[in-house]
Amino acid sequence: MRELELFFGPQHLGMVGNFSITLKVEGDRIVRADANPGFLHRGFEKLMELRTWMQNFPLVCRINVVEPDHMELVYSMGVEKLAGIEVPERGKFLRSIYCEMARVGSHLFGLWAYANMLGFDTVAHWAMYHRDLLLDLFEELTGARVYHIYLRPGGVRRDFPDGFTDRLVETLHKIGGKVPDYNATFFENSLFKKRAEGIGIVTREEAIRMGAVGHIIKATGMKYDIRKIEPYDAYNQVDFDIPVRTAGDAYSRLLAIRDDMIESVHLIFKLIDKMPKSGAVYTKTPNPFKWTIPKGETYVRCESSRGELGLYMVSDGGDKPYRVHFNTPSYNHGLTVLEKALVGESISDVGNIMISLYVVAPEIDR
Amino acid sequence: MDRNQISKWFKNPGKMAHKYSFHAVYFCTGCGIIEIPPSITTRWDAERFGIIPVATPRHANLFLITGYVSTKTLKAIIRTYEQMPEPKYTVAFGSCPINGGMYYDSYNTIKQLDKYIPIDGYIAGCMPRPEAVFIGVTHLWKLIDMDKADGYKRYREDYALYRANQEQLFGELDWPPLFKNEKN
Amino acid sequence: MEILKQKLSSDFDGLNIHIPDDKRMIISIAKESILSLLSYLKNDGYEHLALISCNDWIDAGKLELIYILSAYMADDTHYQEKEKKSIIIKTKISRNTAKFITISNLFNSAEPYERELHEMFGIVFEGHPRLTPLMLEREYKIPPFRKDFDTQAYVDNTFGKIPSIQQQKEGLQ
Repeated sequence: MRELELFFGPQHLGMVGNFSITLKVEGDRIVRADANPGFLHRGFEKLMELRTWMQNFPLVCRINVVEPDHMELVYSMGVEKLAGIEVPERGKFLRSIYCEMARVGSHLFGLWAYANMLGFDTVAHWAMYHRDLLLDLFEELTGARVYHIYLRPGGVRRDFPDGFTDRLVETLHKIGGKVPDYNATFFENSLFKKRAEGIGIVTREEAIRMGAVGHIIKATGMKYDIRKIEPYDAYNQVDFDIPVRTAGDAYSRLLAIRDDMIESVHLIFKLIDKMPKSGAVYTKTPNPFKWTIPKGETYVRCESSRGELGLYMVSDGGDKPYRVHFNTPSYNHGLTVLEKALVGESISDVGNIMISLYVVAPEIDR
Repeated sequence: MDRNQISKWFKNPGKMAHKYSFHAVYFCTGCGIIEIPPSITTRWDAERFGIIPVATPRHANLFLITGYVSTKTLKAIIRTYEQMPEPKYTVAFGSCPINGGMYYDSYNTIKQLDKYIPIDGYIAGCMPRPEAVFIGVTHLWKLIDMDKADGYKRYREDYALYRANQEQLFGELDWPPLFKNEKN
Repeated sequence: MEILKQKLSSDFDGLNIHIPDDKRMIISIAKESILSLLSYLKNDGYEHLALISCNDWIDAGKLELIYILSAYMADDTHYQEKEKKSIIIKTKISRNTAKFITISNLFNSAEPYERELHEMFGIVFEGHPRLTPLMLEREYKIPPFRKDFDTQAYVDNTFGKIPSIQQQKEGLQ
């Protein structure tokens, strides 16, 4: 059989985000896949060396468009580690609630992308509508729908408005109450099971060898989650579980994502109950135009909705960072795991596997 | 529809049909793509304005450039734009295509997109809300009525200048020129 | 952390170990012993290569390579002490002739990190299976992430020199 070279390129209906894969196919089976990133490269790490510590926040949150909040979190954690700043109690709980809201919103976006690509428009419209209700709450809290710059080194920017937690609980009841409908229409649908079971299998040994984190390794049975391994903020004061599956194919990854979303909704309820009723929400930091941070280097990490997100930061005693390097989960998933998982599959499953690996293109390019 | 619209339908039915049925190419060029799924789903329904996404540029007549453009993406954008049939309209989101935006000193982003392909209008915001997208589209209708949305005509007339700019940025281009030398 | 420090100090010489807190350890080592140290730590259980990064110390004339390792869980449901630790390993190479060995035989996920460092800092990794450009689409005289690459000057020279269509038409007339 002859080999043909196809471009699953940036302008394609099954591609979410600006990313390209070059496929070599024989008939309908893929023989080799080469990922081609770089369509969204802006040179963030170089630009951050030319702006001061606080001026970097609008740049940091634009690295991951779907869920910008964990980027702000990991940058603030890095600055706090280098400068030796502590976060007050109520500030820790507000941060955790805010990050869990972002996690639920990001999982709903992933559900839209997957259902839209397969053709299940009903479920896609439901998921996007519920994500919009969460974005209304973000707009009330911070003023913007997508890029909310709410975290800062030392805590959060301002306290919750009056009655915000009641509205949050009401919205989460609406989202949680729709889960039985999602189950009946989508996750237990025999058509979806036929398209997703046994596709794109990543076993435990392969995942460890290729450095995969997040849902890919939770779908093989390991409870690898930074919120439990190295607890930050308020996660060591509440009780929650990490749901896992064992099969390792696209179906188990989607089920792990759904279970993670349900667990996050319950976690927000527990955090709201345990939160201290009043207190400071941030510690004061010096004048941002003249703030210098002592010399040193550090590596901090947190758990974003896609996996382990890390930051390596170096300061040389000045008012600008010396080197900033983000270790995003989509880097390994999109470049190493994708090329291995696509070999032997058919062309119609490329979008299927790519979205179930939960790759976000701007995280790869930065 | 009110009475003075009826005469417009009889005078120029082609223009009215173009206006009220924009088919947008499905190409996620930049960060602004995060506000397009809310616009095309049920909460802010874009289909009542006539906008639906289509898979291939050969069926499309609206190109939404959602945010900043890097040099690698610009090659794909030019090839997609040249495949669309005429009349075609482009709308750019945000301040990054106007003058570089917040990436004004980046070595990989395009600072002024108007030098390489013609743009009919810009929508403010970072990202523009779905309501801002609809206001931009209704403004584009007015421009089409007044015959001012003529990006594709400018591309056809000044093609030699656009092509010279593209070649100065990229060097040798892989695809042949779209229009031969025509009498202006 | 102290136990690991003693084990490493007895097995390798020329190490410089700094422990800022109980979750991180920073090791500086000469460039000849990197491969043996990394395989020693990988056999000890630190199988996850988190990051390969690079610092540009332009005043000293050196590039500093950073390798960060951490551990996966040995037991699926119980959390032990080993997974909390991140080990940062640093080594210096010369800046003018930047060459180093590749570790993609040891860690499979190192391949894209080394490709990116090749095009951003200009380091050549000997033995790498595929050292082609990853993200950039053109060649630069000085690799972009080095400290002597001036971004504003590059923007003015490349994008600023292209005239707009209006200016060209007025120039023709």
